[in-house]
Amino acid sequence: MELFALEHKRLWRTTRVWLCVLLCFIYSVIYGGVFSFQWFVFGSEGEDTTSPYENNFDGYSVIRDWQEQFSQFGDTWTDETFQKIVAEYQSYDPMDRPGLQSMGDWSMAASFLNHLYPELEDSASQTYQPLIHYVDTEKLTDFYGKRQWYLDFNLEVARQGGLLTEADIDMLQEMNSQIEEPWKYEWTQGWNHLLTIALPNISARIAPFLAIALGFIFSGEWHDSTAPLLHTTKHGRRRLAYVKVLSGLAFAVEMFVLIAGGTVAAQLIYFGTSGWDMPIQFIKEIAVAPWNMLKAELFELTFTFLGVIGYAGMTMLFSSLVKNNVLALVLSLSITYVPNLLGRYLPLWAQEASQYLPLVGSPTDIFRTNVFHVLGKGIWSPYMLITVPFVIGVVCLPFAIKGWARRERA
Amino acid sequence: MELSIDRLTKHYGRKIAVDRVSATLTPGVYGLLGANGAGKTTLMRMLCAILEPTSGEVRLDGKEIAAMGEDYRDVLGYLPQDFGYYPTYTAAEFLSYIAALKGIPRDRADRRVKELLGMLDLSAVADKKIKTFSGGMKQRVGIAQALLNDPQVLILDEPTSGLDPKERVRLRNLLSEYAGDKIVILSTHIVSDVEAIADVVLVMNAGRFIMQGTVSELAEQVRGKVWELTVPREQARFWQEDFTVANYRHEGEQVVLRIISDEKPSDEAVPCEPILDDAYLYQFGAKEA
Repeated sequence: MELFALEHKRLWRTTRVWLCVLLCFIYSVIYGGVFSFQWFVFGSEGEDTTSPYENNFDGYSVIRDWQEQFSQFGDTWTDETFQKIVAEYQSYDPMDRPGLQSMGDWSMAASFLNHLYPELEDSASQTYQPLIHYVDTEKLTDFYGKRQWYLDFNLEVARQGGLLTEADIDMLQEMNSQIEEPWKYEWTQGWNHLLTIALPNISARIAPFLAIALGFIFSGEWHDSTAPLLHTTKHGRRRLAYVKVLSGLAFAVEMFVLIAGGTVAAQLIYFGTSGWDMPIQFIKEIAVAPWNMLKAELFELTFTFLGVIGYAGMTMLFSSLVKNNVLALVLSLSITYVPNLLGRYLPLWAQEASQYLPLVGSPTDIFRTNVFHVLGKGIWSPYMLITVPFVIGVVCLPFAIKGWARRERA
Repeated sequence: MELSIDRLTKHYGRKIAVDRVSATLTPGVYGLLGANGAGKTTLMRMLCAILEPTSGEVRLDGKEIAAMGEDYRDVLGYLPQDFGYYPTYTAAEFLSYIAALKGIPRDRADRRVKELLGMLDLSAVADKKIKTFSGGMKQRVGIAQALLNDPQVLILDEPTSGLDPKERVRLRNLLSEYAGDKIVILSTHIVSDVEAIADVVLVMNAGRFIMQGTVSELAEQVRGKVWELTVPREQARFWQEDFTVANYRHEGEQVVLRIISDEKPSDEAVPCEPILDDAYLYQFGAKEA
């Protein structure tokens, strides 16, 4: 325990490490969290509407205004609610409408219209106008029936494309059948931003900093010429390797708590917890998971947490196998950057396989109907994407310990 | 206690760094002498069980050191040639950290750290960061960490490098005092360091022990081959070209040369008492050494 405390303290005392934590915090929590809520996502539009960075620094009050405005539509999603929201939008001056869509729930309503009511489009019109601008609200009926039709249609397209089997569709439909109707409703855009941008982005933001902090955990000892000395101490091999791995994992957890905790704190400050029990189908209508926003948030946090552990495991393995800091860092960074940068050039199977790597796949798969097939059994993609990266990382750990504890051959 | 080295060999590809070296070491101070590249560091790393030998083995009291694992490292102290440290640590913090790695209980470690800092004249800078230290001070921290666990086998690779003459003398005395019933192996290419404290000198060349014995035994090997010759200053260069000259001392317009030679180099040359330096130079010649 004493050794763990010393090693953990030593890790945090490294200038590179705390600098990484500080930068990651600024980038993720201040820029990606606080500034996005207060300024460039929810801030009201400034004079120059072409850039979100020209927005005003007033997100906190804007969010409250939207929450209050959309509370007038009641707390249950019915055809009537849908009609009222569209009608409210249509009551605004056409010149003001583009700005309204970004933060009000009209973007959600517009998406519902485009996907669920395509037959109401005015195909005769010579100029394009979004459906929400002119649709006859009286015709917006049978919302849940339309949604089921749209889901069936998409699943059938996926089946015909060879992406889903009949069994997969049965499984997804079974999940879908558990979604309670009518849906609870409140202003959704805060949750939308949180679940599709703010939380999923933590993975991408935390990865490089974690690589820099942990990539040197073993290789740094060779770089600093301390490895030969440590290797000749009583506990300098296996026990030190265990302790380094444990302190690396502890650091990864602490970094996650700091970044994810900061993001959640920003969420709580800016739009609180209201609407936590709304279904995630408000974010994507054909999502089949019978989950509410809170469950989705917990899933995404767990997803990132397990990804961080997996990533830390892989990074520490690379660090123990190579004695060169730069190589260890490049290998660690390549876990996420190679699939992200070169993904499009890889064959489909490789693209899919790369999603299993820690912090590569996205937790937003909970809004999709992707199914992975393992030994002939279909598994809903989020279940695979949350477990495999973690397992990969855990499997790396004994090899990282072995890599450090072995005697040199050359 | 006995550390036996049996046909220990290390190849790096085609290069043979250590070539079937054998020796039996009992308590005492062993000086490992050799030019750069002779194989001293490779041998020491194998004696510390850091480096895996290509063949051969090292045993402590009959047990193979790699198999002993923690038990061997528990009685081992090692100062690597390139001693690495954590720059942001103070001397006391660094020693405490190494003490923990050596499995020394906290209270005992605190006392030992304090004691060693005093012994190595580092008490005044105990709470200063190592990165602010001079080379000699860093080296003393390195020596202190090697002594933390009061090791039975102490291996010091170039311990005197970076030390000023006063510090070197202090280290010699410290090691002489420490040795007692322990095995101390120190490598160096500074003959006088070994001469002052080593009970046994092992001379390495091309991965092999080419000479071993006490300082006087090795010096004795060149008795009758060490000469002093006084010549005019302008002639000194010619003598240096033809003979191994161990020393060159001015005396007015003359120079006194200490020449190593099987034959009496000149009628005027007078035989003199050999020292370890002479034996070393006899083996390697002035240029190679």
